Amino acid sequence: MKTKTELIKFNQGLDLESGERLDTFDLIVETYGQLNTDKDNGILICHAFSGNHHAAGKTADGGVLGWWDEIIGPGKAIDTDKFFVVCSNNLGGCSGSSGPLSTNPETGESYGKDFPSVSVTDWVNSQKLLTDHLGIAKWHMVVGGSLGGMQALQWSISYPNKVKKVGIFATATKSSTQNIAMNEVGREAIRKDKNFMGGDYLKHSIKPKNGLKAARMLGHITYSSEEIMDQKFGRKFQDIKSKIEGTVDYEVENYLQYKGEKFSDTFDANSYILMTKAMDGYDASYSSNGSLESVMKKIQAKLLVVGFDSDWLYPPKRSKEIQLAAMNVDIECSCVILKGDQGHDSFLFASERFVNIIKGFLNSK
Amino acid sequence: MNTSLTHIIKEWVPEKSKVIDFGCGDGSLLKDLIDQKNIRGYGVEIDHNKIQECIDKGISVVEKDIDEGIQDFETCNFDVAIMASSIQCLKEPHLALRKMLNLSKQCIVTLPNLGFWKCRLDLVQGRMPVTPNLPSSWYETKNLHLCTIKDFETLCVEEGFVINERLFLNDKGVKSFAASTFPNTFASEGVYLLAKK
Repeated sequence: MKTKTELIKFNQGLDLESGERLDTFDLIVETYGQLNTDKDNGILICHAFSGNHHAAGKTADGGVLGWWDEIIGPGKAIDTDKFFVVCSNNLGGCSGSSGPLSTNPETGESYGKDFPSVSVTDWVNSQKLLTDHLGIAKWHMVVGGSLGGMQALQWSISYPNKVKKVGIFATATKSSTQNIAMNEVGREAIRKDKNFMGGDYLKHSIKPKNGLKAARMLGHITYSSEEIMDQKFGRKFQDIKSKIEGTVDYEVENYLQYKGEKFSDTFDANSYILMTKAMDGYDASYSSNGSLESVMKKIQAKLLVVGFDSDWLYPPKRSKEIQLAAMNVDIECSCVILKGDQGHDSFLFASERFVNIIKGFLNSK
Repeated sequence: MNTSLTHIIKEWVPEKSKVIDFGCGDGSLLKDLIDQKNIRGYGVEIDHNKIQECIDKGISVVEKDIDEGIQDFETCNFDVAIMASSIQCLKEPHLALRKMLNLSKQCIVTLPNLGFWKCRLDLVQGRMPVTPNLPSSWYETKNLHLCTIKDFETLCVEEGFVINERLFLNDKGVKSFAASTFPNTFASEGVYLLAKK
């Protein structure tokens, strides 16, 4: 599959929910497939917390597959032979869009910890400018899982007439207390890494790798589930030859060590803090004093809500809440709870029912 | 669902009303109601293949076991709740009816009549009835609570449900003089429009 990567500069600036303003910003964008002449076959993919614009296909260099390659591609659930698929790295990320690693035009140095806090709504607003740039009047679908699902939902609320269908997978209308609590443990691990230096580590050319690694290890526990960990690792001992750390006894420890290590090589700590804060801060009903119904009334799009039974980060009941609010205010909305054998991460995989449901939803009237 | 039954249900559902169909199957009835009566419709279904068919048709469908989930929708203010040919499969049909009338102004229920003469004949001959609308053998039927027309109407009185409309079909699925006059013996299926007192 042909993938196209482009860095798009936006000079019109963006007012952020925090009251701050970015005078200019960049979004790095990957696209697959062709925009048709009516420009009505566009699908916008919103990535999860640690994802990025590389959603499908292989990267030119390392040949790394996109995070949703199982779902996006020719003949796949989101068929790139039919649809023009767009995925951008969110503002505040660390994969090429403006974020803590970018140069602050005022100082000539990296923003680091001074990159303004951004919200899910800010991401949607930045993507609205991207939509205009692409000449797309209305997305055929905006879709995402986890944090990306919140973003897709917010699209239908912020720009009701700009999106026809919305896919909201493994997510909720707001982070739960437990979600916030987990994120805080991750952030604390980063902040207490001596290399974090109050967020100024870039100036010293170091990285708080240990903190990032611990945060990610915790993250992976929440993306999985008790049952899945039992099935996948049980209490099997790690064989000595492939131990990452001498302290490792069990396979599960080695797995977490490996995942954490890999993540800490590539992700930026300030981005981690900023992205998790955006996740914690999201509440679709915030603008209407907690009434989800009065916010969802604005929605014109058709919704598809999918939850996974093994997801304990955003459990099925959170999906059902979205469905019920939609039904309360007469929004067209389907809701299915799928058997997922990957916990929260189930939305990343092309299980048969998931694929058929996405296809059916995309192709229906 | 036979065409007469679909036709009756369509007649009873007001234009532009908000409708929930419990056990909506492949979503055909809702699709017809959306196309012809401009309703806002939602289906509830548990069968995976049928859910897929609803989604393919563009019908809003919720995956849920009716036995457990009717009350979940009680804030949604429906005009009509439909339960076609499934009330007898529920664990507690009387409670299901109460819950349906809690979330909807009216409810349409269809049910097979165990008092139908062919059922009686089967029983007299010492066999469990097998008829066009009770097609399964005793060992594979999903029906837990079969009743007669008389039983059902007695329940309506006891529960305080008002029967706004009632229609009876014979085993060919059509209205007939005999079925309308002596429904408990000659109706194979009863169709009711219920409301709360």
